[in-house]
Amino acid sequence: MNITDNILSHSSDSEKVIEISHLKKYFNGNKVLENINMVLHRGETIVVLGKSGIGKSVLIKCIIGLIKPDEGTLKVFGKEVSAMSPKELNDMRTKVGFLFQGNALYDSMSVRENLEFPLRRNKSIHDPHIIEGLIVEVLESVGLLDTIDKMPSELSGGMQKRIALARTLILKPEIILYDEPTTGLDPITAREISSLILEIQTKYKTAGIVITHDLHCAKTTSSRMLVLHDGVFIAKGSYDEMRNSENEWVRSYFKIE
Amino acid sequence: MYLRFNNKMRLNIKKIFRKNKSNEKVPYTGSNWFDNLLSEIGGLSHFTALFFKELFRPPYEHREFMRQAYKIGLSTLPLIGITAFIMGLVLTLQSKPVMAEFGAESWLPGMVSVSIVREIGPVITALICAGKIGSGIGAELGSMRVTEQIDAMEVSGTNPMNYLVVTRVLATTFMIPILVFYADAVSFVGSYIAVNLQGFTSLPLFVNLAFDPLHYADLIPATIKTFFFGFAIGIIGTYKGYYSSNGTEGVGRAANSAVVISSLVIFIMDLIAVQLAEIFNIFY
Repeated sequence: MNITDNILSHSSDSEKVIEISHLKKYFNGNKVLENINMVLHRGETIVVLGKSGIGKSVLIKCIIGLIKPDEGTLKVFGKEVSAMSPKELNDMRTKVGFLFQGNALYDSMSVRENLEFPLRRNKSIHDPHIIEGLIVEVLESVGLLDTIDKMPSELSGGMQKRIALARTLILKPEIILYDEPTTGLDPITAREISSLILEIQTKYKTAGIVITHDLHCAKTTSSRMLVLHDGVFIAKGSYDEMRNSENEWVRSYFKIE
Repeated sequence: MYLRFNNKMRLNIKKIFRKNKSNEKVPYTGSNWFDNLLSEIGGLSHFTALFFKELFRPPYEHREFMRQAYKIGLSTLPLIGITAFIMGLVLTLQSKPVMAEFGAESWLPGMVSVSIVREIGPVITALICAGKIGSGIGAELGSMRVTEQIDAMEVSGTNPMNYLVVTRVLATTFMIPILVFYADAVSFVGSYIAVNLQGFTSLPLFVNLAFDPLHYADLIPATIKTFFFGFAIGIIGTYKGYYSSNGTEGVGRAANSAVVISSLVIFIMDLIAVQLAEIFNIFY
């Protein structure tokens, strides 16, 4: 079942920040994304569920412009990503944060330098007091102010995830794309990260797409959910709607809860 | 054959790279060594062209360039120093009996200095740097690639080609000649000590004997080729690291092949440099 048309027609009065239509992506002839259609509205958080290796990360990497889709249209803030100039792409990326699955903290830099890096490059802020103020603010948001001078290798997996989230937040993005934010973490830390994502959404009023197969994270953070299977979204709705879906494959996904 | 030329004899760049299963951009690997060789040459040429394209495009990363130059220079100084000292010492000790046999002991400092300045200093220093710096760059960038740090940099509004590649290649290009001068100087010290291990030669006399046979014809081509050695070490190290794939195994392979390929390229470049200097004879 392809629920393309339903997803496209999802009604909301708020502004559309991401619009994807008939997006396709193949790798070496292998179908990864077949016909992806979705709309993300300002302030809303969509959780994309699906098995590992099914193309969830490819989808958000297409949105941020790290991967070029083969076909279809993909608009962020009303502009087609593939038609953006390098400057427009950079401008877009300052408004769209990306939390990497493996955190991707620069391991040759301290936490402070990791947080300074995007600030100095994108906002051209060179006043040390302003930079320090912003760093302290985001570190307080993720509850790790005392790690400011530590190296990433000195931090635990959960702490690294929080710092990566702080680095994403420091540019005050309007959208955050989370690539499996709780993968590889113990259940308690995973729940803390899920709660932190929710806190951030509320505090900074960001929209988001959360790629995950962690059902607790999905339940905590989602405004609505989409289930990806065989390159298409096969179901959409709230957490409870998905759990009671008519589609057996979708229902079976929730049996492990 | 993956490197195709169309009617206008232009390289078909799309055929040089492919995406692997993990969606990493990697050079094509052919079914035999010849295909692989052509793919490597094509990939490296394309990467070099990208380097020159980014070289003149702002923003210019002065601070990162200085940091890399400082790191590369400082980290290699002790290794180069010890190797160069032993090189000067051993070369002198080994040559001394032969020179003595011909009654030409007074030519020993001159012979050693010409050998070091023209050939041994640049090549040995470049090979050491290929091993230390080339493998370091390959492993560092490779590890950044597989841990998505390069992607994170791109998403943070920084051009990784500009920030990571251009700065490192420029740093090696300008630091290797300086390291070669340093190696030459330390070798002279080693040679002076070796000369004085049996017998006595005063420092002014040694300097006079060592520098007398040296001409610009020895120094200039030797210095010019060190810039090319440095460029080769930087570009090959960054190329192997930048397109590293397949996790930690790929990082190891990137570091290893950076050393192997740059060492080979250094010898080929040296051969070409010697031939060109002979053919044009411009500095004599």
